[in-house]
Amino acid sequence: MLSFIGRSIIQKIITLFFVMVVSFLIIHLAPGEPSQVDPLNPKFTPEMVERFREAFHLDKPLHVQFVYFYRDLFTGKTVSWKDNEPVLKKIGERFLNSLPLFIVGTILTWTLAFPIGIRSAIARGGVYDRSATFVSYLLYSIPGFFFAYILILVVVNTFHVPVIGMKTFGFGDVSVLHTVMDRVWHLLLPSVLGATVGIAVLSRYVRSQMLEVESQDYVRTAKAKGLPSEQVHYKHALRNALLPFVTMFGLILPGLIGGSVIIESIFSWPGMGRMAFEAILARDYPIILSVNFISAVLVLIGTFISDLLYMVVDPRIHL
Amino acid sequence: MTVRRILIGAPIVLIIFLLQSYFWVPTYEQQSKGNPQRLTEYITASSGDAAILNPILSADSASSDIESMVFEGLIDYDEELRFRGRLATSWEIYEEAFFYVNEETAIPQVGKADASKIVELLKRAKTGDIAIDVTVKASLDNIREIAIIPSRTFTVTRGENKAKFKIHVSAPARIKLVLNEVDQDLFQNLSRILGKGYFSSFDGRSYLRVDHDVGEMKRAEYAREILPAIEHNPIVVFRLRPNVQFHDGHLFDAHDVKFTYEAIMDPKNLSPRMADYEPVKSVEVVAPLTVRICYKRLYSPALGTWGMGILPEHLLNDEALKAEAIERGKDPEKFTMRQSSFNRHPVGCGPFVFQEWKSDQYIMLDRFADYWEGTPNYRRYVYRIIPDPLTQEMEFYAGTVDMYNVQPHQVERLKHDPTYQNFSGLSFGYTYIGYNMRREPFNDRKVRKALGMAIDVDKIIRYVLYGQGERITGPFVKQTDYYNHRIKPITYDPAGALRLLAEAGWRRNKEGWLEKDGKRLQFTLITNSGNDLRKAVLAIAQDAWRQIGIDCRTDLLEWAVFIQERVDKADFDAVVLGWSMGIEPDLYQMWHSSQANPYQLNFVAFENKEADDLIIKIRQEYDHEQQVAYCHHLHEIIAREQPYTFLYVRKWTAVLDKRIVIKETDAEGNVVYKKITPTKTGTYTFHFNKWIKLPVAPVFSAEG
Repeated sequence: MLSFIGRSIIQKIITLFFVMVVSFLIIHLAPGEPSQVDPLNPKFTPEMVERFREAFHLDKPLHVQFVYFYRDLFTGKTVSWKDNEPVLKKIGERFLNSLPLFIVGTILTWTLAFPIGIRSAIARGGVYDRSATFVSYLLYSIPGFFFAYILILVVVNTFHVPVIGMKTFGFGDVSVLHTVMDRVWHLLLPSVLGATVGIAVLSRYVRSQMLEVESQDYVRTAKAKGLPSEQVHYKHALRNALLPFVTMFGLILPGLIGGSVIIESIFSWPGMGRMAFEAILARDYPIILSVNFISAVLVLIGTFISDLLYMVVDPRIHL
Repeated sequence: MTVRRILIGAPIVLIIFLLQSYFWVPTYEQQSKGNPQRLTEYITASSGDAAILNPILSADSASSDIESMVFEGLIDYDEELRFRGRLATSWEIYEEAFFYVNEETAIPQVGKADASKIVELLKRAKTGDIAIDVTVKASLDNIREIAIIPSRTFTVTRGENKAKFKIHVSAPARIKLVLNEVDQDLFQNLSRILGKGYFSSFDGRSYLRVDHDVGEMKRAEYAREILPAIEHNPIVVFRLRPNVQFHDGHLFDAHDVKFTYEAIMDPKNLSPRMADYEPVKSVEVVAPLTVRICYKRLYSPALGTWGMGILPEHLLNDEALKAEAIERGKDPEKFTMRQSSFNRHPVGCGPFVFQEWKSDQYIMLDRFADYWEGTPNYRRYVYRIIPDPLTQEMEFYAGTVDMYNVQPHQVERLKHDPTYQNFSGLSFGYTYIGYNMRREPFNDRKVRKALGMAIDVDKIIRYVLYGQGERITGPFVKQTDYYNHRIKPITYDPAGALRLLAEAGWRRNKEGWLEKDGKRLQFTLITNSGNDLRKAVLAIAQDAWRQIGIDCRTDLLEWAVFIQERVDKADFDAVVLGWSMGIEPDLYQMWHSSQANPYQLNFVAFENKEADDLIIKIRQEYDHEQQVAYCHHLHEIIAREQPYTFLYVRKWTAVLDKRIVIKETDAEGNVVYKKITPTKTGTYTFHFNKWIKLPVAPVFSAEG
């Protein structure tokens, strides 16, 4: 066990280093210049561009820039080129904004996917199962931005209420309850949209897991000894079908930092995804690289946790 | 069974909880009815967030939107696009002109003369003792003062770090003339008295002694730089408004103006405005409320640069920055204005006070109760950042933004809705097809004109722009005086185009293509991808030209490639492009023949001697009427030469709730409501400080 943890940590650190190098190279070698040194902007004279390059260390060779960047990142001194704000502070703020979206989206996904999937598996081949399959594939294949526009158009045109942003603007002095509910309302559409694909995929997965377990001998035995079918499905089958999902909890972790670029941009939600997207457009390297680094770390931690969880819940597995 | 109940119950409870929140959210009508506060807030939507809220450092449009509310300049443009005073109450423009006494050259009828003799001669001419013609007389009458600056010696240092060397100068006497008005023809007129070559034959080299052997070329260059034979120094004296406060209560004065200028010129600050102020020689504080700006040369567009927002010196000078650096634990040596927290909490003396900036969400401003022109009607101004144009529109319908960047097709949709009022007006800029005149067949004016005649621009305006555009015939902003309205746009006439092409030697061959000396009339029209309007123009032009037998190919290129590889390197036949312009009529960069090299803006290589002269005269002329006359003439030349096919100027469009009106108090103290109307300034927000939203839309007796 301990040796597994040790090995795993070393492996992950090596992977992380490669991620750092590759992402740094990709971002610096991609075409385009940071907007502060963009030669196409007629307001900037060549001397200014030169001075900016110097201030950002862009005139140094790549490996030196690499060292400078990660030195600043680890000492917490990295600042965004766009507004000179510390990167970690910006990420922290945005993280808190993305968090409710992520939590509500995740809860929706997991609470809805299970009942839908289980019911499909139990009533396999019936009308319910077929229509659930159809709707899942439909939701899975509609492009997110398109679905978002349709939803916004329908809601705004029928109900005439605002749906964009984190709260209603100019709402004035109203009770705390109003403010809270207003925020919940603004969470609704983006988190439903964020959850749709998740529900579609996860419910399929639940269904197939259930079906697999239901065909096991011990389920047949349980049925044969005359247990009520509810008890067979929900106690004997479901528990065993849940096993693989425990490990998926670990893999949710990276989603925390990634946010959702498309949904956050459409709903002008000031979250992580939108910040990263706008940083990419402006070639704000410190932000892009920091977000990238943090999400790489989270991915690695996530896989580590799911490995551990697997061991804990399934005593048959030894690593 | 509990597991089952939980599995079904939990999502149902969650969904009900989420959905019931709908009942707590206000609808469009409730926004204003149940919430009177909302009427005093103006919320506008922008697709991009501001970068840095400091007028001397920012280079993006979102930042300048906010800066125009928080900061105030010395002057700006009024409804008729004339200058009007803001922080300056009045200003005076005059000139100091200098020339070195050229003792080597004989003056007609006088011979070689020293400084005092020349002064005497000029004074005699001024009193009318010498027979001179009217224009020279006018120039002399304009001279208020003549003085001698005695000869002097000084040393200057030149060269880079290690190769520094000294130049010893023993400058001859110099004559200083103070003029009532700026006179760009002064020296030309004076040479009618002092002799034709008096100024041009002045050779500064003989007054220089250079430590170091630099070669004759370099020596002549230094001589021209250190001892210019003649020099125009236009001077602007601004008298500033007394008792104007910054938002923190500090009084505004001339030192703030000087500080703003110095901050722009400080290389540490990397200000993108530096080039605008390069012609300034010095800024002096004459009195607490008088500032004197002296220019190195004649450059009339420079006056417009004083619309720049003025920074508060007391918050940003060296001591303030040092204190901030120490407080925040930064190195005071490396700490510049760019790092200052001021850029996120700006303080100016404009009509609105900065309150809060949440990145990518909103910027909130409150009105400034002590604003010198009177407190704005709106209590609060909110600048929301909504990146997506469709969601902007949705927020507008939901009543949580009052204004957004409405597109022509969206205006079409809202035009007949009684809830809204809509506006449009001409913007500052135009779209054109530019021809590379270095190449065949575009070096022939007839061909260029024929190409223009073959395109039905009115149709483009009607179908591509939904009517939100107007034709344009030349390079000036259409609603300014500089634009020559006597010039009529080229009419759509394909038959006439064919006749002109026939005159130029192009005839249709058997297949119907135009041909000259066995060569087909063939070229490629290019533009950048990502701009649907230009793409449409590209297709329409190609089709129109093909119909008269021109083999036109088209290509769409990514912006960076388009500019860097094709336009900058002059490697194209014809391009569809647009210019957005300032009001100032300075066309030097786009149209002067010296600017036709690679990477310069005259990429079509327009060369015309007469136009060159006019372009120089326009930027040196300080008299508005005269400048307008020059511009009209230049417009005529460019319209005749057709280096571009000028297509259209777009209209900006806007939609507002009808309940937003102008509220004014007349002389007797009665409140008067007026309809908002667009002004020539390219927006409808000119009177924004007087706007307010009413609970019910008023009825205006005389509409229009």
